[in-house]
Amino acid sequence: MLAVAALVALASFLVVAVPVYLIMPFRAQPDWAVTLGYSLERAAPVVTLLAALVVIGLVGRGWRSGRWGWVRRGAALVMVILSGATAWLARQNRFEWMFAPLANPAFARPAEADWVKGDEFVLAVTVNGESVAYPRRQVAYHHLVQDRVGGVAIVATY
Amino acid sequence: MWQATLDGRALRFVLAGINNQNFIMRDEETGTWWQQVTGEAIRGPLRGKRLTHVPHDEITFARWRREFPGGRVLRPATDTAWIAFSRDWETETARYPVKIAASLDSVLGPREVVAGIDLEGRSRAYPVETVRRQTPLHDQLGGLPVVLVLAADGSLRGFDRRIDGRALEFFARRDSADVVLVDGATGSEWDFTGRATAGSLAGKRLTPVYLQQDYWFNWKTYHPATTVYRR
Repeated sequence: MLAVAALVALASFLVVAVPVYLIMPFRAQPDWAVTLGYSLERAAPVVTLLAALVVIGLVGRGWRSGRWGWVRRGAALVMVILSGATAWLARQNRFEWMFAPLANPAFARPAEADWVKGDEFVLAVTVNGESVAYPRRQVAYHHLVQDRVGGVAIVATY
Repeated sequence: MWQATLDGRALRFVLAGINNQNFIMRDEETGTWWQQVTGEAIRGPLRGKRLTHVPHDEITFARWRREFPGGRVLRPATDTAWIAFSRDWETETARYPVKIAASLDSVLGPREVVAGIDLEGRSRAYPVETVRRQTPLHDQLGGLPVVLVLAADGSLRGFDRRIDGRALEFFARRDSADVVLVDGATGSEWDFTGRATAGSLAGKRLTPVYLQQDYWFNWKTYHPATTVYRR
């Protein structure tokens, strides 16, 4: 029972860990890696939650059976924590840890924009006569900013 | 830049990953993965669909302010991660190794900056250093006569150089503070917005051609059949 719980916890961990390894900056990504990374990430929230419940169930039975010594109980706790952490990790966006999204984009008039120097580059979008400047450095950090320009919903990317 | 609506449906995007050093975004509505540089859905329910491109202009803030005094500027974030983000991020990222799956043409260094044009199935990369030497740079891309113009402040724009069906050739006036182009056919003067400000063609406008400024390795990865402008 403990062995089965260990295998389930490990498999669940791999469902989260493999995409982290494959979809990583400064690695080359062949097509199969993108496919596998996508599929595992998509399945991860449900699979890891089920796995955590299975691990908890198995550990619970073993714990109450009275046949487990301290070593086994210790190992069982580790598995419960690991599978719980994995289920939580599966629902996090690790890329947003590195590059926090801009939750509520706010804007200023050109004369008020004292944080941008004149020789800095901006990404300027002009639609239906409305023009918005996204300083390049800011979009390079957030990677994407959603906005509405000239009545058109856009996502500014860099 | 992309329209955030597809087939009439609004999409909300989040950062989702990286694919050969170009980032992937995910829409919250379907979970589809979209490649940032191409706007194409690469995995997921909407795979194969393409977002509508919205051209942007990469110019200096001072220039944008002059051209669009009524515009608005994105305010910066206030979290500590942003504040810690280096002011020298460009030089920092230039030091990172380039690891991609595609094989590169060795004619250009991987991090050499190019201005890419991708129109009607043809793509060509113009090394910005080459544009600097030749500005205004004239070329013919398939049926499209283009001119690439680099201003002294580093702002770069491309134009379709046809007016009323005739392809113009331009010379830069050396004595002007900002870009002034003179066309050989009529001697009209043109500013950096592509508008003729003097001469018989005064009031006419050149149609902008979108230039994608990118590192050569990224342009080549997503435009494998690209040619390179060489002179």
